[in-house]
Amino acid sequence: MTSATERIGGATASARPPRRRSAGGFRASSGAAATAFLVPNVVLIVVFTLLPLVYAAVISLQDLDSLGGTSWAGLGNYAELVTDPVFWQSVANTGVFTLFTVPVGMAIGLGVAVLLNGVLPGRALFRTIIFLPLVVSGVATGVLGAWMFDQNNGFVDDLLKSLGLPAVQWQSSGGWAMTAVILMTLWQRIGFDMLIYLAGLQGVDPAVQEAATTDGASGWQRFRLITFPLLGPSTFFLLVMNLIYSFQVFDTVWAMTRGGPGYGTTTVVSYAYRVAFDEHGPQLLGYGAAVGIVIYLVTLLITGLQWRFTSGRDQTD
Amino acid sequence: MPHSPLTRRSLLVGALGVVAAGALSGCVANNGPDPSGAAAGSRADIGEVSGTIRFAFWGGSDGENAGFAHAKREFERRHPKATIELQTLPYDGFFSGIDRGILSGTAPDVFRVDYTSIGKYTSHGVLLDLTPYLTETERSAFLPALADAVRFEGRTYGVPHQTDTTAIAFNRAALREAGIRAVPDRLDDAWTWEEFSDVATKLRRTLPDGKYPFAYDWTAAGAYRWSSFLYQAGGSLLSEDLRHAAVDGDPGRKAMAFTQRFFDERWVPANNTIKTTVYSDNFFLNQTVAMSFVGDFLVPELADRANGYQGGEWTTTYMPRDVAAASDLGGNAVVATRDTEHPELAAAFLKFLVEEDQMRDFCQRANELPTLRSLADTPLDYAVRPDVMDVFTRQATTITETAVRETVVPGFASVNTALQDQLELAFHGRGTDQAVRAVDAAVDAAVAS
Repeated sequence: MTSATERIGGATASARPPRRRSAGGFRASSGAAATAFLVPNVVLIVVFTLLPLVYAAVISLQDLDSLGGTSWAGLGNYAELVTDPVFWQSVANTGVFTLFTVPVGMAIGLGVAVLLNGVLPGRALFRTIIFLPLVVSGVATGVLGAWMFDQNNGFVDDLLKSLGLPAVQWQSSGGWAMTAVILMTLWQRIGFDMLIYLAGLQGVDPAVQEAATTDGASGWQRFRLITFPLLGPSTFFLLVMNLIYSFQVFDTVWAMTRGGPGYGTTTVVSYAYRVAFDEHGPQLLGYGAAVGIVIYLVTLLITGLQWRFTSGRDQTD
Repeated sequence: MPHSPLTRRSLLVGALGVVAAGALSGCVANNGPDPSGAAAGSRADIGEVSGTIRFAFWGGSDGENAGFAHAKREFERRHPKATIELQTLPYDGFFSGIDRGILSGTAPDVFRVDYTSIGKYTSHGVLLDLTPYLTETERSAFLPALADAVRFEGRTYGVPHQTDTTAIAFNRAALREAGIRAVPDRLDDAWTWEEFSDVATKLRRTLPDGKYPFAYDWTAAGAYRWSSFLYQAGGSLLSEDLRHAAVDGDPGRKAMAFTQRFFDERWVPANNTIKTTVYSDNFFLNQTVAMSFVGDFLVPELADRANGYQGGEWTTTYMPRDVAAASDLGGNAVVATRDTEHPELAAAFLKFLVEEDQMRDFCQRANELPTLRSLADTPLDYAVRPDVMDVFTRQATTITETAVRETVVPGFASVNTALQDQLELAFHGRGTDQAVRAVDAAVDAAVAS
């Protein structure tokens, strides 16, 4: 007994320690591996995301200029922001821009995706053509837009005139200037919407569609009641991404209109750029940082609300 | 050994600490000038210099690049132990790079700066005080207005390297077809505002609907060029002590009403405003306008055989005048940074750049105007269209002392931004009185800040 126990114990003793060493070694090695994988990401996130974010918050509490002249402003920049009519106009402009680029872009992207998801000759070519503008930089898109919508020598007005339509004041009328910026943004962004919806459509089970067809559903009913709800995760992803893109629009606007005419196309980010980073502007870095923090908080709020109201949807769908 | 996991909270707290420390350590310098205090001219005799300095500039044109390269070669020939490293940078982002360099201690030893930006650097005390290195004779060799452009609180912080100003480029045939036979060829005969209005009206009648009499160069950072009309009307942008706006008065109203007419009477394209991507030279190059207000530095662009003006024969005439003739201060100075390791070498190089032979060579290559009195009245052999450059040379004499003082105030960037915003609104339907009051209030707030 004793010997058996000892034997068992010995056997146990002799058998378990290697297992413990093995488990411990595995844990240690997997811990080291996890650390090795984590550290580069943590370092990148800290250096390029967290530090700038926190530093921007600190700067927003200062009166700081580009040569380091500084004084503590407390919440002064934020107080000034609240009473700044140009800031509120830029918020309204950004809202209009978002309203027309996000739903319209997603609707067109979905329509194109449905068309190009079917059997269509040369669909790969069409997909490529529609996707191509996405790889063009925002600045290049803006410069291209400025040429096309030039109200004296631009292609768009020439086209309108050749069709017997009146020329449009694309650059000197605030409403038309905003329209031009929205059109160029849609041209660039529809490819992205199409791509995500195409991926979503490929994931829709054909058996569900066939069952609905068997049950007598029309094409529109199949799309409205089967396909579109099943694209919920894609729609949610696109909504979040498009809202963020639209709220942060800058390059296309700046290259096309410089925020004008008047403040007609001044968006929140282009306003922040102008007050803070324009080399020939006032270079109020603290004020610009305060605008940036507001943009960050609004974006965070939008994303949070969407997560709240659509929580679990992408998992359940 | 127990260890604390890296949580989001600890990560944020750590980041906050690092940033706060950085921010506090950064809150030290550059809140004001720190002149050397040495007497004027006490170190003017620099003698032999050695070492290496970096000279940063934007390559505005092939002529400018060639001019600086020539100056480097000649300086190094005269001072064999000295080396000038030329650093050609794009104009966009140039001053942001300089500012970051100054903050991080990596700025070039010498850099080029335009007169509208120099006030920012002099008022922050980041430039080398050149006062001890320049004798009174050397300082007074410059045109007085331009010598003042590089001074701040009685000290000299750079050398005025070249200047430029605005005049009118026009298509001869378009004016002839409009029945305009005589175009001023002497500064004293420059069109009055009334005569200029007649010219614009005649052109409007004869030009097709999609073409316009002229375009003005007030786009974007050029907004301050609106002030030329204010000066011509006898007004000024700022009060005598440069602490308040002075636009809200009769000259301001007159200038505003005159420039608003440009749009009301369709003398300029509707998009020839401030916030646009189309500049006055673009309107002329694509033949949308018959005349265009342009700076002399644009002459090589207009004269380029391949991509220049293709609308026929063009030449230049003077800015219109009202109670006075006036034009804007353009051009650039060259300055050295306060923290350069080779202040003597930097000062010697700056002085070399504005020697008569060097300035003549640079201006001729770059088609730009000299700042030395001795060259101002001397015909230069410009590389491109010397025939049209004489107008700019004479027009430059109408850059008033007031214009210079107001252009180089430390907060000029804010003043110019205020002008951009308010003129843009003034040209989009505001009444004259409201527009003048708005400009005045915005400029006042800008100069006070």
